Amino acid sequence: MISTRKITKTVSTSEGELQILQPISFEVKAGESIAIVGASGSGKSTLLSLLAGLDEVSSGEILLDDEPLHKMNEEARARLRGEKVGFIFQSFMLVQSLTALENVMLPAEISGLDNAKGRATEILELVGLSHRAHHYPNQLSGGEQQRVAIARAFIGQPKILFADEPTGNLDAANSEKIEQLLFDMNRDIGTTLVLVTHDNELAKRCSRQLTMQAGVLTETTAPVTAVEEA
Amino acid sequence: MGVGFNLAWRLFRHEARRGELTIILLAIVLSVASVLSLSLFSERLQGALTERSASFLAADSQFRSSQPIDDSWVEEASEFDLKTARQVATRSMAFGEENMSLVDLRAVNENYPLKGEVLIADTPFGQTKAATDLPSPGEAWIDSRLFQLLDVKLGGTIYVGDAAFTVTRVLGEIPDAGFSIFSTDPIVLIRDADLAAANITGPGSRVNYTAFFTGDQDSLKGYYRWLRPNIDKEIHRWRSVSEDQSPVGRSVARAERYFLLASLLAIILAAVSIAVAAQRFSQRHFDPVAIMKTLGASKSMIRRVYTIQICLITTAGIVIGLIAGVAIQQVVVTALADQVDVSLDVWHWRPVLIAIFTGVICALLFSLYPLLRLFSVPPLRVLRRDIDATMSSRTLQFLAAGGAIFLLMWTYSRDIKLSAILFVSGIALVAGLLLVTMGLIRVGRKLGTGKMGPWQLAWARIRRRSMDNSVQLISFSVTLLLLLVVLVMRNDMVAQWRAQLPEGTPNYFLINITQAEKPEIEQHFANANVEMSDFYPVVRGRFVAVNDERVNTSMSKEDEEGPREGRDGLGREANLTWSNTLQFGNEITAGNWQGDDTSEPADGIYPVSVEEQSAERMDINLGDVLTFNIGSEDVKVRVTSMRKVDWQTMQPNFFFVLSPAAMQSFSPTYITSFFLDTERKPELTELLKPFPSATLFDVDARINQLREIVDQVSLAVEFILILVLAAGALVLIAQVQASMDERQQELAILRTLGAKGSLIRLSVVYEFIIIGVVAGFMAALTNELSLYMLQTSIFQMEAVLHPEYWIIAPIVGAAVVGLLGAIGCWRLLSLNTTALLRKMV
Repeated sequence: MISTRKITKTVSTSEGELQILQPISFEVKAGESIAIVGASGSGKSTLLSLLAGLDEVSSGEILLDDEPLHKMNEEARARLRGEKVGFIFQSFMLVQSLTALENVMLPAEISGLDNAKGRATEILELVGLSHRAHHYPNQLSGGEQQRVAIARAFIGQPKILFADEPTGNLDAANSEKIEQLLFDMNRDIGTTLVLVTHDNELAKRCSRQLTMQAGVLTETTAPVTAVEEA
Repeated sequence: MGVGFNLAWRLFRHEARRGELTIILLAIVLSVASVLSLSLFSERLQGALTERSASFLAADSQFRSSQPIDDSWVEEASEFDLKTARQVATRSMAFGEENMSLVDLRAVNENYPLKGEVLIADTPFGQTKAATDLPSPGEAWIDSRLFQLLDVKLGGTIYVGDAAFTVTRVLGEIPDAGFSIFSTDPIVLIRDADLAAANITGPGSRVNYTAFFTGDQDSLKGYYRWLRPNIDKEIHRWRSVSEDQSPVGRSVARAERYFLLASLLAIILAAVSIAVAAQRFSQRHFDPVAIMKTLGASKSMIRRVYTIQICLITTAGIVIGLIAGVAIQQVVVTALADQVDVSLDVWHWRPVLIAIFTGVICALLFSLYPLLRLFSVPPLRVLRRDIDATMSSRTLQFLAAGGAIFLLMWTYSRDIKLSAILFVSGIALVAGLLLVTMGLIRVGRKLGTGKMGPWQLAWARIRRRSMDNSVQLISFSVTLLLLLVVLVMRNDMVAQWRAQLPEGTPNYFLINITQAEKPEIEQHFANANVEMSDFYPVVRGRFVAVNDERVNTSMSKEDEEGPREGRDGLGREANLTWSNTLQFGNEITAGNWQGDDTSEPADGIYPVSVEEQSAERMDINLGDVLTFNIGSEDVKVRVTSMRKVDWQTMQPNFFFVLSPAAMQSFSPTYITSFFLDTERKPELTELLKPFPSATLFDVDARINQLREIVDQVSLAVEFILILVLAAGALVLIAQVQASMDERQQELAILRTLGAKGSLIRLSVVYEFIIIGVVAGFMAALTNELSLYMLQTSIFQMEAVLHPEYWIIAPIVGAAVVGLLGAIGCWRLLSLNTTALLRKMV
């Protein structure tokens, strides 16, 4: 589903060029769930932004569902994201001026899916928020906002889901619920999950774990049972 | 289109409901409403004032001729849908049973007057009222003075030429009598049909033929174009309200320029507030754009969503603004209806179109740059909140904003030169302000160090965002500057108007006072508690030669008519006076005033001072020797000074002022003036009874009319001032509001770190006070410069310095901006820290 070959990311700073990512190559199969763990500033979010096509690689190749992301311009990448990718962010990233329902409808509408409202209502029901459908994000708790974000991520039944610290802003109880919901829906829909976290417990629920350290990615094989147990 | 529109509409609906569009909507509403109400009001008022001025011409336009006007020319006017009236005016002797007097005879046709009213009274010098008819053939309406001069009563008979007329009314005023104090001779109004019988307009007599025209501007212009080939400048003269050089005409013209200026400034104010609001709108949408892009929205979709949204906001702003503008204007017009005669029934479309155009141009051009920035926000912002828009070229912003302002000024003033002057000076001003404010901020850096008190915090904030603060300072300065210009301009203008006609301005003139009567009159008036002004000696003399070269009669005729149309001298001769002191309202422009020197000059030729415009017209220069024929004697005088005479003062003014020494051998009559309250008017007859030979000129009605107009125009100007002040206040609020958003994050952090509310509040208030003081001071300085340019080049006024505003402006700036800052801050601090932090997300 995802294939990278020697991707790097270099940025210019006042002190010259700075290579944030050393050449990285790895593969993610369809339906797999992988966790990228690492300390703050290790480059894991940068890797996520490259894999999701939010940013451009400095060198190397990325194939996302066999489409060459590294050759695409921003417009093409946006189309690809709309068709195949879902997102969950640490700070929820809901549009403040839209209600919960409208936030969920947003990707469906952008991609031109029919019956966006019906789908959104259905999926909000699934995440247990149908009673909050017409509330604005600032009227919802952090946990509720993230459930709306999850509903939004899954409405288009994406092939790949990228999650950036999905429980980073939540307390323990809410984190647990959100993790459960995320993995349940991931399993039901059969999405490939790429999760960035510094939470080892959360990482352990994924089928594979990759560790990022100072821009270098190394793979650690996680016990498969962890996912099954969850 | 569907998805884009749905999303745009949804965002618009929710944001409007949640009050997030208030600022930008308010800015557009404000621009549309202020432009509409200002221009609608000023068009209506101008209409009313023009109408008023027209009443002094008795029509919208006059065609005057010294020879009979061809009937076919006047008939042609009906082809242009113009109404016409005619008048023949001449000077002639009128006889009573025993006495006679020179009169100004006006023979009018049935349509006279087309504008204004003929005023009549029941008794001589009695209260006047508007006449509803005209004298019938065989009747004459005569001036109050003639009852005295001809010893005639209502119902009596007077004779003019070969015709006899029954006196049926006391004539108070005719609209086109002119503004001259020596408004020639007493007027006799008769019908044109009677003129032939009088047989007084034969060859050799001086007759003025006037045709009056009224209709809409285009028709008048069309007719004038048709008539122009027939106009012989020697004989004919075309006069219109727009070129009216009377005191009223000038006041109205100046007021019109003020309205134009105020409206232009209101447009700029509105534009500034829209620019501020659009910037804020764009910044608030960085996240939604990043989110939508992440979720797969193409650039074109984002463009569609936000362009539609701006269109929705603009449309809503324009609709609300139009309603508000009409309402404001209606409320004010209704409130002022008693004092200001505005044509309520006239609806003007131009202001509406201009208001809509203003709304559209402001909203689109001022949001262009913020929108382009918004479109350039990269999706990566969802992961890295510090990433901003990638487009940051300010050139486009300046081009778009500058273009918008220039386009609006040009559209509004229809005067590319005026717009260009204002625009270029504006740019120079902003550039200068930018330099100075940057410098000031740099100086302030030193002050912002040390222990963290509220002052230090305030300076530190100013220092840290010096570029943002310069822009903010400039916008505050420009707003304050515009308010100052409008305010000070209004004060200067109204003061200069009022100075023309101060309370107690003489409203009656008494002439033909003999030397013997002079002390008696002084005593008599003092007993009646009426204060008289100076007595001017007058002898009538014919101006016959310059440097022994004879001048022709047409020149002496010119001399009588003076520099202004309608200012006639006394008969065919000039009034000569003499004095050692320069008269009030006179100013020496060349040479030296003759002064007290009474010694006889070596060549025996005494000095004379000549009014500069007449001198120019008659080609008289300093050093020339003029000859006057007085009685049977010739008097030679040398021109030693030229005087500028303020014709707008209601004072006796003279073209020639001689030295008393030169006139010792002549026995003069005297002119004096006095002020008598309108209510005491009935006492006049009694007051003048002992002096039958003295002649009274009543200018009370004229003065009241003038004063009324000046008051109306001042009131209107005041209203416009209030509107512009309100617009300015709203702009300031919008600016503080916008800058408060930027401060929100910092306040939240300070709050979270445990800073006391009072420290934060004080630091914000101090910050705004510093900005307010600097902005006020900058505004006061630039105000002087702008006023100097405006007053000298556009308003033709005397420019004066206003040092008081150098102190007032910084204080008011500090107070207003500080207060607004405190209110904005209080609103933020009333939220708890969690709410504040959540607002930041």
